[in-house]
Amino acid sequence: MTLTLSRRRLLEGAITGLLGGMSSGCSQPGSGRSVVVVGAGLSGLNAALILERWGYEVRVIEAKARVGGRLWTLDHMPGSPEGGGNIMGANYGRVFHMAHELNVPLRTPPRTLPADYFIGDQRIARNSWATSSANPLPEAWRTIPPDRLLGKLNITNPLLGTRAWHDPVLMAGDQSAATGLRALDFPDAAIELIGCNNSYGNNLSETSLMTLYRIMGEFARLSGPALSVKEATEGNMRLPEAMAMNLTQPVRKGEPVIAIHQSASLVTVTVESGRTLEADAVVLALPLPALRQIEVTLPSSQQALLENIDYHKVVQLHCIVEEPFWESSGWSGSWWTDGLLGRVFTRPILGTTRHNMTVWINGDDCDALNSLDDATCIETLTQALWKLMPSARDVTSVGQLVRWSTDPYAGGAWALWRPGQAATAHEAIRTPAGRLFFAGEHTAEAYRGMEAAMESGERAALEVMRLLA
Amino acid sequence: MRPSVYLAYLSMAVTILIGNCVQANTLSGEALYDAACGACHSLGTSTDHRIGPPLGTLLNRQAGAIQGYRYSEALSNSGWTWTLPTLLAWLSDPDAAMPNNAMNYVNHLTATETQLLGEWLLQQP
Ligand SMILES: Cc1cc2nc3c(=O)[nH]c(=O)nc-3n(C[C@H](O)[C@H](O)[C@H](O)COP(=O)(O)OP(=O)(O)OC[C@H]3O[C@@H](n4cnc5c(N)ncnc54)[C@H](O)[C@@H]3O)c2cc1C
Ligand code: HEC
Repeated sequence: MTLTLSRRRLLEGAITGLLGGMSSGCSQPGSGRSVVVVGAGLSGLNAALILERWGYEVRVIEAKARVGGRLWTLDHMPGSPEGGGNIMGANYGRVFHMAHELNVPLRTPPRTLPADYFIGDQRIARNSWATSSANPLPEAWRTIPPDRLLGKLNITNPLLGTRAWHDPVLMAGDQSAATGLRALDFPDAAIELIGCNNSYGNNLSETSLMTLYRIMGEFARLSGPALSVKEATEGNMRLPEAMAMNLTQPVRKGEPVIAIHQSASLVTVTVESGRTLEADAVVLALPLPALRQIEVTLPSSQQALLENIDYHKVVQLHCIVEEPFWESSGWSGSWWTDGLLGRVFTRPILGTTRHNMTVWINGDDCDALNSLDDATCIETLTQALWKLMPSARDVTSVGQLVRWSTDPYAGGAWALWRPGQAATAHEAIRTPAGRLFFAGEHTAEAYRGMEAAMESGERAALEVMRLLA
Repeated sequence: MRPSVYLAYLSMAVTILIGNCVQANTLSGEALYDAACGACHSLGTSTDHRIGPPLGTLLNRQAGAIQGYRYSEALSNSGWTWTLPTLLAWLSDPDAAMPNNAMNYVNHLTATETQLLGEWLLQQP
């Protein structure tokens, strides 16, 4: 008890100003109650900070040697490219506020160089897309670049509000993108191109049309003072690191949770070393493929869902380019391909003549790459790169291969809703189970990505406070 | 004092402290606001880095009235005035209350909690 009291006082000093206005002991519902948060990504850390602020004793347990989860700044590479979440949307209120409070500087990201197209083994300069013989689109569609084709969806977008993407009535008509886009008169060639670098499903048969509508519609809903997208100037991982630093008890890193058991009055959490922790409540702030590895009893409907929600596959190869070799040959620097390389994003490292070049492959195209060992995977990708850009070879070095699906503590980049699935699944998957609460990007309702993680941490913290107040 | 006695004494003190709180099982309006709104809204009336407008002196304030904040057209042109009933309608389903607003927020509070939060918020300077 002494600990709890003095820590709380300490905390009031340390975090005064963080969301302002703490008051008397009476508004400290958490005194003496303990919470274990599993996972030190944005969602778990946000839940932990809120709970600590209100007097709960919080221990955050993290499997990896670092915090941040799916935010992973590759600090060992020049330019510190992001292996995980990279862009903070212009309406990420909670992310911006947290960065502001914790003095994590943000900036407008340096511009990624424009992309040329590499279709069916033919290079097409971006300005000649409309007229190129390698452009497979029919006449009326030829002027639309491959990465803009989905924008056509906004002509018929039925989703108007924040919750509409899982509205049961609208969802009753959900279908796969493969059939849905055809029904909307997208030409086959357009559908095929959309499938090449689709971030919202592993293939178009399992991509929900409503999800595509949701994402296209989101771009329209911006307000407030923050009008441009952001990134953390020194790397996005600085944000979760700063959040972790502001917790009273340091995050326990390198301690994978392997089992969770609850009784009517207590939850026992077992970590890999065999050590156990007891708590009044547990927040599971980790992606579902990682949760599947933990021994825990959940209601059967939730258990079934847990097995049935897919995660997006992403493979990235992060390279450093010493000189802008593309300039002499007239290319733009980035590429959009319909082949093995997916997309290649190139952007300047500010204050130098170097560039970060990231090969980014999405969806089922990752399967073949994921079956290779690291060295062979890198070799396969670099060979394809040198074929596309022979002059890259002498000035480009490989920094890091990133494979999210094979990371046991992630299991993929983000949760995907199969056609129709979101109508009931999104709510069921986050419904508290006794003393277990669920946070994480996949449990949010209004946002996706980093802001979704923050949003979900808020909701989970509230649920815990409600139970334990 | 022996440690165990000392601890027992302290925990008693804490129990009394908690016991004195009104509605120990309901979260206060302040706690609800902190967890559910505070990241996007400050109190007072000056805009800051947050993406939502400040919510101080909200009672009887016109919707969309904060100078220098870029509201959505839907909110600016709504003609609403903030009172407990309008605030509760807004919070329980912002999109239904005012289509095309820019508050990307889903309320996870119970009706009682929303009411408590609303009453608390409308008293803030
Ligand atoms: C390649 C990529 C690109 C992205 N791009 C963007 C973007 O541009 N914009 C955007 O907003 N979002 C983006 N995202 C998504 C964003 O990064 C995530 O939504 C967000 O970081 C998820 O936070 P989280 O807390 O939900 O989960 P995580 O960050 O995954 O946190 C979960 C934590 O739990 C830990 N854990 C797992 N298993 C255990 C265990 N057994 N015991 C203890 N700990 C465990 C993990 O190690 C991890 O630290 C991207 C993600 C990826 C992968
Ligand atoms: C994710 C950020 C976010 C969260 C969380 C959020 N809001 Fe908002 N809120 C906004 C934005 C953005 C606007 C401006 C909307 C517009 O212009 O259409 C807004 C507008 C408002 C307004 C109108 C103010 C005016 O000046 O007319 C009120 C009232 C309000 N919010 C109350 C709340 C309350 C209470 C909560 C918590 C229960 C909350 N909001 C949570 C972002 C948020």
